[in-house]
Amino acid sequence: MSCASTHEDGHRLLERVTVVANDRVTEGVGLIVLESPRVARAVRPGQFVHLRISTGTDFILRRPFSIHRAEEDRLHILYQVLGTGTRALAEKRRGEEMDVIGPLGHGWEIPEGTAHALLVAGGLGAAPMGMLAEQLSACGVAVTVAQGAPTAERLVGQGVFEATARRVLTATDDGSAGEHGFVTGLVEGALATDRPDVVYVCGPEAMARIVTAQAAAADVPCQVSLERLMACGIGACLSCVVTTTDGQRRACVDGPVFDAAHVVWDVSEIPPKH
Amino acid sequence: MESAHNINVDMSVRIGALELRNPVMTGSGTFAAGREYAEFMDLGRLGAVVTKGVSLNPWAGNASPRIAETASGMLNSIGLQNPGVESFCANDLAWLAEQDVPVIVNVSGHSLAEYVAVTERLDAEDAIDALELNISCPNVDEGGMAFGTSCAAAADVTRAVRAATGKTLIVKLSPNVTDIAEIARSVEAEGADAVSLINTLLGMAIDTDTWRPKLARTVGGLSGPAIKPVAVRMVWQVASAVSVPVVGMGGIMNAEDAVEFMLAGATAVAVGTGNFVDPATTMHVVDGLERYCRERGIDRVSALTGALKR
Ligand SMILES: Cc1cc2nc3c(=O)[nH]c(=O)nc-3n(C[C@H](O)[C@H](O)[C@H](O)COP(=O)(O)OP(=O)(O)OC[C@H]3O[C@@H](n4cnc5c(N)ncnc54)[C@H](O)[C@@H]3O)c2cc1C
Ligand SMILES: Cc1cc2nc3c(=O)[nH]c(=O)nc-3n(C[C@H](O)[C@H](O)[C@H](O)COP(=O)(O)O)c2cc1C
Ligand code: FES
Repeated sequence: MSCASTHEDGHRLLERVTVVANDRVTEGVGLIVLESPRVARAVRPGQFVHLRISTGTDFILRRPFSIHRAEEDRLHILYQVLGTGTRALAEKRRGEEMDVIGPLGHGWEIPEGTAHALLVAGGLGAAPMGMLAEQLSACGVAVTVAQGAPTAERLVGQGVFEATARRVLTATDDGSAGEHGFVTGLVEGALATDRPDVVYVCGPEAMARIVTAQAAAADVPCQVSLERLMACGIGACLSCVVTTTDGQRRACVDGPVFDAAHVVWDVSEIPPKH
Repeated sequence: MESAHNINVDMSVRIGALELRNPVMTGSGTFAAGREYAEFMDLGRLGAVVTKGVSLNPWAGNASPRIAETASGMLNSIGLQNPGVESFCANDLAWLAEQDVPVIVNVSGHSLAEYVAVTERLDAEDAIDALELNISCPNVDEGGMAFGTSCAAAADVTRAVRAATGKTLIVKLSPNVTDIAEIARSVEAEGADAVSLINTLLGMAIDTDTWRPKLARTVGGLSGPAIKPVAVRMVWQVASAVSVPVVGMGGIMNAEDAVEFMLAGATAVAVGTGNFVDPATTMHVVDGLERYCRERGIDRVSALTGALKR
């Protein structure tokens, strides 16, 4: 496998997919597995799909979801049940069909010469990092994962992290697993002891912003995966803009992964709290 | 029975000087300049591509969040973000010119002088088949809808733009008025070759957890199936009031929706929000319209226009 990747994003497909499994992972979080041969073979770490959950007219827009893992013909999506769309997603049963557009967006890049990577995930921020951890470890990169969640039960994606990372550090808001506190409290220590060549971060924007500053202070390049509300998902509608030092960029095409040093953080752009 | 299933349906329609291979176009702002969609459909099978609104200088658009989903539709407050007319011509138009599809460019401005300046610039481009004058955007502070909600202002901007171009001129009307037929008559009198409607309906949604508006701009434009009955009614009123062709849009998701607009008086139709739901929606509408006519022994699609029975 080639390891350094500063890839061109490939062709996008509209594919009819079948639900293979859809199981509860923990309170309010599910894992859906889709038979999606064409997208599964093309997707790269950090990319997402735009899933058509409803074909009725109650709600009409697709919903964007990161690919947590891809194995052969199958896509694994970790999802948090928040509103109408994700509630309907949780109701999908084995054998049901949907359609997806994907793979979409620009994912994580592995800089030339990376020997050690630090992955920082807050809550469902673990979702786009499963494939990344797998690819890094397959390339012989030493992986450290720093993961945070409100409680021990809400630490998701641990299976893939434990299988691929040299160290998995955890923090919970209530102290039920790992350190008592926020994941950002783990990052400074990990930066100092592991001296990673790159930091990858995904989670609530306030947390991603702190990690960006921590990485910058340690002079380590940092990539961040951002969420925006999306209508088209393919770059046409300008719903999803992110302000960067290079001007306005579309999260669905130029992101969702951005060079964190280029992001102009603006609290007003954080989607409404759920 | 006559073998109605074998008839060839003439799908062509006419808008001003423009002959379209079929009546299905794209709704401005939902299709960019078509490039993103070319991976999912055949642009050459569209009646026309209508581009995102273009202004004289680059516009940054509004703050995020810019969209909010609502029952059977969505609110948007994109705010006509665009790179300005020069960049548009050098990039989007240059690409579109190579595609086998008529090009209609949507024109925006903050002032009458800006509308005229953009029009003059676009008039010089051979690759453009028609202009759609957007006097109905609810998402900008100056210009936009302000020009489309009074007969006098709509007439002034149409007259000025008419004088600046010889291309087919379509004027896009706002539904946020008391009497849309009156506005349509005003722009027809000033030389519009056609009118298109409806642009989005001004709306608002509030997050009950945070008590804040769901859109950063507070209000935005409602589109999608939720607005279709309003749009069909307005198309019917306008088609009854003017003699120029009407391009109907608002919530079209399939061929039956398009048929409704045509029966109400539309000569052509546009798909907007439907492109987000399925990037090939326009293709399904083209195929479905042809099938609809064939199955009923209708040999030209234009026979549907205004054929409403009462
Ligand atoms: C590139 C990308 C990748 C994503 N990957 C994942 C993933 O792997 N797993 C996962 O659980 N979620 C992911 N999301 C977020 C997911 O798309 C939303 O949670 C989902 O669309 C909510 O749909 P809903 O109908 O249940 O909620 P709604 O009823 O639409 O909304 C409920 C709440 O969620 C908020 N919301 C809606 N859409 C988004 C969004 N796109 N981003 C942030 N907040 C949103 C709304 O503002 C609202 O407050 C991703 C989003 C993006 C942009
Ligand atoms: C995201 C978005 C952007 C739009 N941008 C423009 C625009 O730039 N110019 C314009 O005239 N109309 C614009 N519109 C309005 C549409 O072209 C169309 O008139 C309206 O959405 C109703 O059709 P629909 O229900 O099929 O979307 C926009 C609509 C949406 C949803
Ligand atoms: S979601 Fe439409 S441009 Fe990104």
